[in-house]
Amino acid sequence: MTSVEPILEVRNLKKWFPVRSGLLSFMQEKKYVKAVDDVSFDVPRGGSIAIAGESGCGKTTLARTILRLIEPTSGSAYFEGVNISDLTREELRLLRLKMQIIFQNPFEVLDPRLTVETLVGEGLTIHKIEENEAELRRRVLAALENVRLMPAKDFARRYTHELSGGQLQRVAIARSLILEPKLIIADEPVSMLDASIRTEIMNLMEDLQEEHGLTYIFITHDLAQARYIADYIVIMYLGRLVETGPMEEVIMDPLHPYTKALVSNIPIPDPTHKRHRIMLPGETPTPIDLPPGCRFKPRCQEFGPQCKAEEPELVEVKPGRFVACYL
Amino acid sequence: MAVLEVENLKTYYYLGKESVKAVDGVSFKIEAKETLGLAGESGCGKTTTAYSIMRLLPENGRIVQGTIRLGDEEITALSEEEIRYLRWRKASIIFQYAMNAFNPVLRIGAQIVEVIREKEGVSKEEARATVSDLFDEVGLEPKRQRDYPHEFSGGMLQRAIIAQSLACDPMLVIADEPVTALDVIVQNKILDLLRKLQEKYELAVLFITHDLSVVAENCHNVGIMYAGNLVEVGSAKAVFKHNLHPYTSKLIGAFPSVIGEKKRLQFIPGTPPNLLNPPAGCRFHPRCPYAQDICKEKEPMYREIKQGHYAKCHFAGELSFEVIE
Repeated sequence: MTSVEPILEVRNLKKWFPVRSGLLSFMQEKKYVKAVDDVSFDVPRGGSIAIAGESGCGKTTLARTILRLIEPTSGSAYFEGVNISDLTREELRLLRLKMQIIFQNPFEVLDPRLTVETLVGEGLTIHKIEENEAELRRRVLAALENVRLMPAKDFARRYTHELSGGQLQRVAIARSLILEPKLIIADEPVSMLDASIRTEIMNLMEDLQEEHGLTYIFITHDLAQARYIADYIVIMYLGRLVETGPMEEVIMDPLHPYTKALVSNIPIPDPTHKRHRIMLPGETPTPIDLPPGCRFKPRCQEFGPQCKAEEPELVEVKPGRFVACYL
Repeated sequence: MAVLEVENLKTYYYLGKESVKAVDGVSFKIEAKETLGLAGESGCGKTTTAYSIMRLLPENGRIVQGTIRLGDEEITALSEEEIRYLRWRKASIIFQYAMNAFNPVLRIGAQIVEVIREKEGVSKEEARATVSDLFDEVGLEPKRQRDYPHEFSGGMLQRAIIAQSLACDPMLVIADEPVTALDVIVQNKILDLLRKLQEKYELAVLFITHDLSVVAENCHNVGIMYAGNLVEVGSAKAVFKHNLHPYTSKLIGAFPSVIGEKKRLQFIPGTPPNLLNPPAGCRFHPRCPYAQDICKEKEPMYREIKQGHYAKCHFAGELSFEVIE
């Protein structure tokens, strides 16, 4: 995708969840929810990439499968050239220090009975990286200062109920940052937050990326937000990667019919701006029992005969622009 | 005559001896066929305003001052019995969480029939026929009345709730974050439906949301709330393009957009105040970059600056946001 050497390569990754429908289901053909179906892309080192799509398109499953929080059905992900699916538990544990995940809801992630200091230092303690107490404390305070929770000493003493949503999300970021990761996967990191605070966190993450040379994978349903935090975008539809490329190009000139519809439907904070919206018929079906051919075809407004026959492959149609569509 | 006229509404929640001034002096009106979008961050009093109008406040919440006129009736003084009579008939509400708005163990159609029979005293068959018509109107197959809520997708549930809100032919519909939980494509379908029905039934709509982009595209007028105050009201164009209040300007600056040049987004330093003990003077002054001494001492008046464009700021109309930023 780019000339920069990729930090993470995802190759033909699949995650199919078996569906059991009843007592006699073992006699029937096995059915699967194809949550992630043959997805490949690269994440350039030091870049940031957004995985976007509607709910149920498999973006969260994809992220979890990459980290092997869920075991993939087939395919693999290579982190700095190492195949993650070949690793033993111990090796995986060490690797996860370099690949951190930040979840959507900081209220649920952080234990309310622990102080911020314990929460932030937890990673170092659990992995037995830092056993000297004074040094641990110094690192925790440094991490808090990194995420601009100052005065750090004051925040370190607090419990989660004493913090606002934005501050909690910063604690969550500090928790990851203290392990000096190379890649951070952030699953809807700001969607729970109010607009004014959301921007603060987004800007902070941008600054941290520069200061610490981080690579980001953002998972989001909001393309407008994605535009401000990532340089590359991966659009998913029903478990399939349908389009990927540089963010501005994809947003300004989408190529896949689904991306076109998605972009045209994003509301714009300007009442004088009128645009043509592409309305898709029906709703997103469940990814069980998909029809043969392109899975977007039933809702697509531009399909041709070959769309019925075979699932389109992801091909490079313009330099850097990959689309899974025959048209 | 306006369908809804709210005048200096104050709704407080009582916690022991203390009171949370959730809505503190809010005034606005909505005409028939008109949508007022009420926007602001969480805790600014949008939902409390809606619940005050529907008189659905929790036990510790009370309307302490002000009037709410719905059609030709003043409703703050009505008894519980009288207000029950008006709910659904004059004003109905579309709640935020479509998934939770229906009882999961009853068929959807039956739940709407119940509302109609309670209010109109018609037979079961007549009520069922009305539900069929309503389902047709909102784009659901009438036979799906017999489905249970779990058989519906999020978008379909939202349609069913809209059908329910129209069941007794109200003049005002309050939509509290009606599309927040939906994906953008479904979201626009629901919004188009709401607009179509509004036109057809000449509804006044109070549209509550935290998402300014949705407000910009769907509302005739916009009200921006901050910490229990309505800080600015005007036509969507006026509020978005020629805003008068620093908070409005900052909030709009914080919203990402997929069109236009990509700039680093603004944020507002600090957090909204605790409404148990709001700051003296203008409630926004601790976070306002333009604050002067007067803002700390004297609460600004809510006044009309230009025709139909109101703001609650000492310097409304005198500030130029682009130049200073």
